[in-house]
Amino acid sequence: MNEKVVAMLLAGGQGSRLKSLTYDIAKPAIPYGGKYRIIDFPLSNCTNSGINTVGVLTQYQPHALHRYIGLGTPWDLDRHQGGVTMLPPYAEIDGIKWYAGTASAIYQNINFLTSCEPDYVVILSGDHIYKMDYEKLVEYHKEKQADVTVSVLEVPWEEASRFGIVNTDEDMNIVEFDEKPEKPKSNLASMGVYVFDWEKLERYLEEDNNIEESTHDFGKDILPKMLKDQQKMVAYPFKGYWKDVGTVDSLWEANMDLLDPSAGLVLHDPAWRIYSSNPQLPPQVITKTGRVQGSMVNEGCVISGTVKHSVIFQNVLVEKEAVVEDSVVMSGTKIGRGAHLSRVIVPPDVTVPENYRLLEPAAGITLLTQDLIDSWKESGQQ
Amino acid sequence: MTLMAAVDASVKVAGLQDLTIHRSVSSIPFAGRYRLIDFALSNLVNADINSVGIFASQPFGSLIDHIGVGKSWDLDRRKEGLFFLPTTHQNGGIATVGSFRDFEEHLQFFEKSRQTHVVVTSSFVAGQLDYKEMLAHHLASGKDITEAVGASGSLKSYILSRRLMLELIRSYREKRILSIEDLVNLKKAPYSYGVYEYKGYFAIIDSIQQYFKESLGLLDENNRRLLFLPQAPIYTKVKDEPPTRYLNGSNVSNSMMANGSTILGNVKNSIISRAVTIGINASLDSCIIMQKCTIEENCELAYVIADKDVYIEKGVKLIGTADRPIVLRKGERVTKEDSQ
Repeated sequence: MNEKVVAMLLAGGQGSRLKSLTYDIAKPAIPYGGKYRIIDFPLSNCTNSGINTVGVLTQYQPHALHRYIGLGTPWDLDRHQGGVTMLPPYAEIDGIKWYAGTASAIYQNINFLTSCEPDYVVILSGDHIYKMDYEKLVEYHKEKQADVTVSVLEVPWEEASRFGIVNTDEDMNIVEFDEKPEKPKSNLASMGVYVFDWEKLERYLEEDNNIEESTHDFGKDILPKMLKDQQKMVAYPFKGYWKDVGTVDSLWEANMDLLDPSAGLVLHDPAWRIYSSNPQLPPQVITKTGRVQGSMVNEGCVISGTVKHSVIFQNVLVEKEAVVEDSVVMSGTKIGRGAHLSRVIVPPDVTVPENYRLLEPAAGITLLTQDLIDSWKESGQQ
Repeated sequence: MTLMAAVDASVKVAGLQDLTIHRSVSSIPFAGRYRLIDFALSNLVNADINSVGIFASQPFGSLIDHIGVGKSWDLDRRKEGLFFLPTTHQNGGIATVGSFRDFEEHLQFFEKSRQTHVVVTSSFVAGQLDYKEMLAHHLASGKDITEAVGASGSLKSYILSRRLMLELIRSYREKRILSIEDLVNLKKAPYSYGVYEYKGYFAIIDSIQQYFKESLGLLDENNRRLLFLPQAPIYTKVKDEPPTRYLNGSNVSNSMMANGSTILGNVKNSIISRAVTIGINASLDSCIIMQKCTIEENCELAYVIADKDVYIEKGVKLIGTADRPIVLRKGERVTKEDSQ
């Protein structure tokens, strides 16, 4: 690509339905897949797509993210030219510019974008799990001579009403946006991944900022306005695994997808590595009493119990006679002897006591917080 | 009192030939995800030593690839940091640690330093040597040169003043001593020699038998606990491998497993490095499998050391012994016909 592409990664989301997992960290910083954080996926996609100027927009609980991304070294984004720039809200003479919506987050950083002198701007979300070549997306955008390209994904028809649906003509020109339609006319869902011609983006952001009733959101305001103005808008059909993890259940599902080859997300892929900050830990050990089946286990773990169909993060101890099945166990957790866990997500650094059992097995997935464990201790069932 | 360090990565160890055709002893893979030099380097940086010279001789491609600018050890510094100091001699490297001829070639490294004392260390010992404590011991003893010695012998690590180091480099020809190790072993006058008693775990890797024994020795929890200290991590080059996958039907027990591997078969009493594939119904007992090896289905391996990129086709049976493990060289491909 001779023309300059800049990626703007929206990473300010709270993700309140993920409960205590996001009390202290933003949603893109949530641990996933045994060693990653969700934001590793869009960041690695940028690196693998040859995009080396990336702005990361943070707002909610930004510290963990800022510290995690640092200079961008794990993603090869510590560059003299470009590289990664963290963009939290900041104060100006007129006051503090909080990010009211996705579009306002980009608008508040229009000076940053101007200084990058981009030809195209790719807008990304920091909380989606997928592998995508953005270079192909930008090539498609150029071929179609579009003003904006929206990446879309075919979703099952019965689920289409949960998504922002994009209706197109046979040439993939967008004719209508249909936000969570009751009766969807198409099953192409917007992934929240857009490519804009920089000049068009700049103009529409300026205009949108002056509209008082606007919610300053790409999906709700900017894109519909551009469609009304008959700008050239096309849909890019993405094929592959894509997941927006909004809830404890969907975070669990996304982890379980890694254990199911038919789900389509392969991490063992030297051609498209997902980069991450690597803690320096010794290899994992499966001891004489340990048994691991259908699972993924990261470095630093010592497994002396039974692990079945689970994703185990770094530095987890599973003691003798403990059983972990259909679960996600985050880093630094210790699972005591004889404990039995099934269909849970264990947050980082939790100590599960010996012989622990869930009091009332829930229908969905249980987030095994320290509070739950404390109430089990108080119930005297140990 | 402050320390600088000279790491001898050019020393020749005759007993490790099968593993050193393409690399120096210092970059032999160990403990699943490390190279031998990681232990020496990590011990140094964990003692806040920021000026580290690595003395290397051919072939050092693998070592350079591993060390890079020293980022993994926090040695990519503006001021001091890592110095890669290769010898120009065709047949560089002698059989003892701390060659004065190698040091002489890079005399400036010692001359220009700000530090008062020098650590000279080998690169084929895995341990947790605390150089701060060793320096304190050295200073208190008043001896000229202090050697670290553990229960089963010398760790081949030494502390001496930089002034004495410079004196030795300038006079070694006339004194007819080749290395620090020789000097200490011969106890040459007029210097005085002290011993720092090291009580922790350490493994000297100076033969295939030792390599095999010490590698599998890490399956003993006590050894691991002494080598992998949370407060003194062993650093290595990071590889961005995903967690290891254990598929249904696999059976792994009493083994150390690095990341990025895919296990379908049976593994016991073994060390498996990064990005290894072990096929269905393959059985491994007491094996050391280095990175990116593939063991196809129905193989039976016992007491085998497979170097990097070894490919073992299906149905191969290779059975060595604890005293004489079978060593497969880097990149070797083994077929069923070969093994019969």
